[in-house]
Amino acid sequence: CLFSFLSSWLPQMVPSRGSHWQSSLLTLRASLPMRAQPKKKKKVDPRREQAQKDRMKKKIKKLEKAAPEMIPIEDFVTPPKYLDSSRVRSLPPLSFEETERRVLLMKKWCLFKQKQDKAEKQAIQTLIAAQQEALKELRLESEELYQAAIRRDEGLFPFEREGPSYTPPLPGYDPPEGKCVDITKVYTQ
Amino acid sequence: ALVSCHRHYRSRPTHGIGRYKYLLPKEAPKKKRDRVQMKEIDVGTEHEYGDINIQMTSYDMCLVEHFAQYVHRLCNRLAVRVKESYAMPTKTNEVLFLEERGSKMQLDAVLTTHQRVVQISGLSATFAPILLEAIQSNQPEGVHLLVKEHTEADFKSRLKSRPELEELLAQMS
Repeated sequence: CLFSFLSSWLPQMVPSRGSHWQSSLLTLRASLPMRAQPKKKKKVDPRREQAQKDRMKKKIKKLEKAAPEMIPIEDFVTPPKYLDSSRVRSLPPLSFEETERRVLLMKKWCLFKQKQDKAEKQAIQTLIAAQQEALKELRLESEELYQAAIRRDEGLFPFEREGPSYTPPLPGYDPPEGKCVDITKVYTQ
Repeated sequence: ALVSCHRHYRSRPTHGIGRYKYLLPKEAPKKKRDRVQMKEIDVGTEHEYGDINIQMTSYDMCLVEHFAQYVHRLCNRLAVRVKESYAMPTKTNEVLFLEERGSKMQLDAVLTTHQRVVQISGLSATFAPILLEAIQSNQPEGVHLLVKEHTEADFKSRLKSRPELEELLAQMS
């Protein structure tokens, strides 16, 4: 009854006494290999592991051989719905005064922008000239300070600046609760 | 190699006049599928900065494109060497907000973030603040400016991810 109890308690682990050829439970494990072929585990395992490692190395080499590709930029790909040439806007014909007005406006705008650009270039040149003069004077004052001024500024980068906004932030604005979900397409090679 | 032209006056002293290609250094023939290799990252000396990335980010693509073009032309005009000028992949964000009476998240908008990068090198230490001043004064609304040094990680972020390779490498080590 002891053996039946054992067999019901651990049905997989403990082998129960089957035939009268088995002398005792303790020698069961030792007697089994005598019936079947010896397995010789010592040689096959390291060889199998070595073969596995070689296969992995080969796979890695093959993958590394392929050059890494750049992620395609979606901005430069026109969406197919805009390639449809049947959508053409038909503009009404403009009157003579309107075209004249537009041409003259464009000329005034060009002149304005040219003056703006010239002023900007002039400003940059004056900045450079003023800086050079200041450095010259500094050199005359003390060589050490001049050398220290010439050196690059380590704290300058990284430099971050938000663009200006049209209006200042509203005081006492309560934004609705929400969240941002990133749905960028992930490209894999 | 003789001049490949229709004139046959090889005995004249003016033969071969105008040839110059043989004086230029030999260019390696460009393969069709050139391996995307990272260019050498310049570290810079004491008086010069190395590779600097001017990154412009915005939701508006036209603005950011035009600003990138402006910065590129400005650098050309001021004799600052522009190494590379490229676009980073577009990021798409879905903005959801919570309704006032309700617990459901409602879709508000789909925003696309565009980023352009102008890479310059060899910027002198005295000229850097002037360049930054010029760029800042022309910064349009909504365009976020970031100027930082170029690193390998920046380059790697442009490449496609290879999950199988990373998995195998993780398994190996």
